[in-house]
Amino acid sequence: MDIWNNLLSGFATAGTPINLLWAFVGCALGTAIGVLPGIGPAVTVAMLLPITAQVEPTASMIFFAGIYYGAMYGGSTTSILLNTPGETGTMVTALEGFKMAKSGRAGAALATAAIGSFVAGTIATILVTLFAPVVANYAVKLGPPEYFMLMLLAFTTVSAVLGKSTLRGMTALFIGLAIGLVGIDQITAQVRYTAGVPEFMDGIEVVLVAVGLFAVGECFYTALYEGRVKQQLNRTGRVHMTRSEWKRSWPAWLRGTAIGFPFGTIPAGGSEIPTFLSYGVERKLSKHKEEFGTVGAIEGVAGPEAANNSAVTGTLVPLLTLGIPTSVTAAILLSALQNYGINAGPQLFQTSSTLVWALIASLYIGNVMLLVLNLPLVGLWVKLLKIPRPPLYAGILIFATIGVYGMRQSTFDLFLMFFIGLMGVLMRRFDFPTAPVIVGMILGPMAEAQMRNALSIGEGHWGVFIERPMSATLLVLVVAVLVLPRFMAWRKKQRSR
Amino acid sequence: MANPASTALPQTLIGVGALALGAVLAYGATFISSEAGYAGVGPNFLPWVVAVVLTLCGGWLIFEARSGGFRKMDEASGAARADGGAFAWVAAGVLANAALLTTLGFILSCTLCFMLAVRGLRQSEGKPPRGARGLVLDFVTGFLIAAPAFWLFTKLLGINLPGLTQTGWL
Repeated sequence: MDIWNNLLSGFATAGTPINLLWAFVGCALGTAIGVLPGIGPAVTVAMLLPITAQVEPTASMIFFAGIYYGAMYGGSTTSILLNTPGETGTMVTALEGFKMAKSGRAGAALATAAIGSFVAGTIATILVTLFAPVVANYAVKLGPPEYFMLMLLAFTTVSAVLGKSTLRGMTALFIGLAIGLVGIDQITAQVRYTAGVPEFMDGIEVVLVAVGLFAVGECFYTALYEGRVKQQLNRTGRVHMTRSEWKRSWPAWLRGTAIGFPFGTIPAGGSEIPTFLSYGVERKLSKHKEEFGTVGAIEGVAGPEAANNSAVTGTLVPLLTLGIPTSVTAAILLSALQNYGINAGPQLFQTSSTLVWALIASLYIGNVMLLVLNLPLVGLWVKLLKIPRPPLYAGILIFATIGVYGMRQSTFDLFLMFFIGLMGVLMRRFDFPTAPVIVGMILGPMAEAQMRNALSIGEGHWGVFIERPMSATLLVLVVAVLVLPRFMAWRKKQRSR
Repeated sequence: MANPASTALPQTLIGVGALALGAVLAYGATFISSEAGYAGVGPNFLPWVVAVVLTLCGGWLIFEARSGGFRKMDEASGAARADGGAFAWVAAGVLANAALLTTLGFILSCTLCFMLAVRGLRQSEGKPPRGARGLVLDFVTGFLIAAPAFWLFTKLLGINLPGLTQTGWL
């Protein structure tokens, strides 16, 4: 009953008025930025990172988690009404949700998305509560070689598996690693790649890169290419579901939750795969196949939405227990912890147990808040979609300035942000994935330290990575992740001949 | 399948860019000590790995660009031609903000950035400039975003942002 006691004390911490307020503001802000096009949870948390200098860790982590969560709820609203997915995870929602909205069933789509997110989020939080301490207990036994292999696995999946082109994913990852190299080497305190610029001594802030790539880059891209793109907003209607729609949604929510969670917990990053998978499953199992792609099937919204939220919650398991982020937002949450000098990893459950359990408790609370914020108040959020683009994107630039300048009071960073923004435009134009850049720059220095520590253990021999069974297993997994998809594609090609 | 010239050149340039970045990193890596200690690899190990892999990626990107274009590309969203004029306004806003932030103070500098960016984004939508009244409107809107944001972050959250005066309000 250790978990139970911990969880109760977590609720006690998260339930103080000030922490409840942080959770509420986080959820509301998260929903808003989820609804707004052009700005996502990762960049919002990044812009707010400077507050880590003042606000205490538990409160700010509750706040950030609320934003992360809220954005998932808000993102589906935009997908359904506008057909421009706010977040990658809600891409699939747009497929069926927008069709439903077009045939006048927006209300049912919004309801199944919100309630499904609540169901999935709550179940996934229960799973986190049960599994995270177990994983942490086990993870304490892992040494540097195993950690390095886990990070290698995260690098491989985020760059080679998720994107369309391995080459472009790899290029993005190594650009991220290169950015992570700038500054002082953790082990020998050697200065690397500063080119005599004093600002580079402390390295390049993740805020700067995230804000440059996502906020400034997005704003530039809109000015350059998207000015004439017209958008059509669907009518909301009344948010409710009929009895038969409830009956069709339930199983889809549960299936989506079951599919999403494992994908969140393994270092395979992102909620794209589980949402597409869930969509495929629902399409196959549905008794109303004719509705898919025509008038819109409610299962096609319910399943992927649940899968998305459950995967997002699942990412907290590797983040909290191993210190390995599997999504961009998780990567930025990790750097928020680093700002406090807190090392995410298996020890976190011992050293910062108050923080961890308050965070987990706040997820339960946040889910309830979000359900209330999103079901009756959806009309309010929809109004945000009526803000014209020019002042919206120009306003985002103001907040970008706060985040980047507020981090270390340097105008040099603002110029650098401009150039990272240009890079963001090029990456988007030529279809390079951006997530590997962020994951690479945050995980890169950690992976390097683990690798060199591992080699020190092995007294300079690379054999250390294959002599230890766990590390060898992980290495096999990395190779499998790289080789298997190619092998399957090759066999398919052979067969069709 | 030959890559049409319209996409072959920009894609090649992207590849050249990655190649050049790899070369710069390799050049920089020569200055990093290789002092290895027990590990057998020193602080210059990862830099060399990154430099070599980026160079290879660059070369491969150039190869793809020259032989049918980047593989599995999604059609980039939006117009085929870039709206350089609109972008110039937005870029001017961001750069002016970076240059003037400490002199003008956060609120005024960001308001200026806002006005320039709105001007550019409106132009990209094909709307005509709105004259003096529009400028006043943009100034007021920008000010109404920047000022409360400044107060919220400096007073409530304790973040250091530059002011024009020492009062803490402007």
